[in-house]
Amino acid sequence: MELFRLSAGQAAGGIKGREFSAEEYVCQLLERIKKVEPKVNAFVTVNSKEALEQARALDKKIRDGQDAGALAGVALSIKDNICVKGLRTTCASKMLERYVPPYDATVVRRLKQAGAIIIGKVNLDEFAMGSTTELSRHGPTRNPWDISRVPGGSSGGSAASVAALECAASLGSDTGGSVRCPASFCSVVGLKPTYGLVSRYGLVSYANSLEQVGPVGRTVEDVAAVMNVIAGTDEHDHTTAAVDARPVYSAGHDGGRQQQQLRVGLVKEFVEGADSAVVKVIYSAMDTLAKQDCRCEETSLGAVKYALASYYTIAMAEASSNLARYDNVRYGFDDLNPEGYEWNSYFAKARSNFGEEVKRRIIVGSYVLSSGYYGKYYLKAQQVRSILRKELKSLFKHYDVLIGPTMPILPFKIGEKIEDDPLKMYLVDVDTVVANLAGNPAISVPAGFVAAAAAPGDDGGLPVGLQMMADEFQEQKMLDAAFLFEGAAKVQRSPEL
Amino acid sequence: MAAVTKDQVKHLGWLARIELSDAELDRYTAQIEGIIKYLDKLDSIPLEEAKPIVAKKKFSNLRADEPAAFKGDALGTKYRRDGFVKGPRMV
Repeated sequence: MELFRLSAGQAAGGIKGREFSAEEYVCQLLERIKKVEPKVNAFVTVNSKEALEQARALDKKIRDGQDAGALAGVALSIKDNICVKGLRTTCASKMLERYVPPYDATVVRRLKQAGAIIIGKVNLDEFAMGSTTELSRHGPTRNPWDISRVPGGSSGGSAASVAALECAASLGSDTGGSVRCPASFCSVVGLKPTYGLVSRYGLVSYANSLEQVGPVGRTVEDVAAVMNVIAGTDEHDHTTAAVDARPVYSAGHDGGRQQQQLRVGLVKEFVEGADSAVVKVIYSAMDTLAKQDCRCEETSLGAVKYALASYYTIAMAEASSNLARYDNVRYGFDDLNPEGYEWNSYFAKARSNFGEEVKRRIIVGSYVLSSGYYGKYYLKAQQVRSILRKELKSLFKHYDVLIGPTMPILPFKIGEKIEDDPLKMYLVDVDTVVANLAGNPAISVPAGFVAAAAAPGDDGGLPVGLQMMADEFQEQKMLDAAFLFEGAAKVQRSPEL
Repeated sequence: MAAVTKDQVKHLGWLARIELSDAELDRYTAQIEGIIKYLDKLDSIPLEEAKPIVAKKKFSNLRADEPAAFKGDALGTKYRRDGFVKGPRMV
């Protein structure tokens, strides 16, 4: 039996029901990782030894008749900007080459308590700054559907490891689309929670007013199951305070809940700038929802046109401030001895080891925060957020979910967008940044495949993701819609590797 | 919007404590100018009535800011002496 193909729910069920052991399951996944990693390069660190130990301990617990937890034995990969005690957390940067966190992020602690097994740390763009997972010190991660293409980013390792059947689910982080973009490009499900629903304690900060930790899985049900474990207040993160202690989500299988007709709005600004092949898939997704008795219509979100400028202003400003802490004195890398250096020149020297994109963002962030420019950029960017929130609030009076493409384009070739003009890469985030600016939840669900224009007919095609956005803390409605669509569209499958 | 100059980028690099080579300065200056031009879009928005967003949580609701002992070694690089972390000299 190919245990590595199991969803998180199936794995936990099988392990708890003693159909197979957690050890057998983890062994198969480690074999799978060994086999496909040379092609995919999703992992930064494979946690083989400890994962096996955790699995054996869990098997014993089950034999002893103890409660093994909701995610008993389920193997998850963790983006390498989320702290796991004792496991190197590099953020794909030279600046944290030697950093081994002495504590677990709250989300990781909760996963472990629920019986989950941390199978390894996965690749990202350096400090989560990028949309392709090419800007990593560990080399680019490749898209399991076509290894000449990018998996999206910045949580590319999360999405690729889940799509390539190297783990059942993963945790990524989403600052401007970093969970949803790779989920879309790799044809898996990725959810960005409402701001404040999930603790950021132990997530290495990039732009902390925008980002959330979010799950990636192969099914909507798995993503809901992980949310049930990680969501809720945490005294270590004060921005989680407005939330239920432990919200509980379900993905359609509870039967009892009366489904009301879902009201779906297709945001026309999201399809206007997108590739025609992508647009076609999104319209057929809307038809699919309509056939499921959803009330579907087109609508408009005017402030989208300012979203990217607002997003990049805020993200870079917060990045320049957050990344000021990396001085290579308290933690960092080893090959720059402070002996003989003066304070400022040592910092400047050490910090020249950030990658190009990170340096660029810190400098632009410093620019927009400079005296005299604050009112022109940062303040205006914050005002755009309140305009977006207002527009969204009034739309959510009429719709349960707003839909559109997650990404306006198909997965592109490695190297295609990171040459000379960084703006080219920024522009692909146009549909995802809205949810981060406004704080709303959003999910990307596989919507279909289209043949690549450059290589028509050579493969099963390239993935397109459908994005659904809901009102603040309306994750359940969003999951209902996603589950309904997933069941009707039936596009879930796995790549040949 | 004034053009972004090489000197400006160099100065910003210094403010952010990032040493930049000449080649980097040449490359970044044009790129950063492109990015700033894009961000200038924000200028075209009539925003008089919009208030910037603020945090929902009241200051009084935050937990007490009390020090707590941390078990475990939080510090990183190999440059240590007598249990202390070694840094560059201050003056």
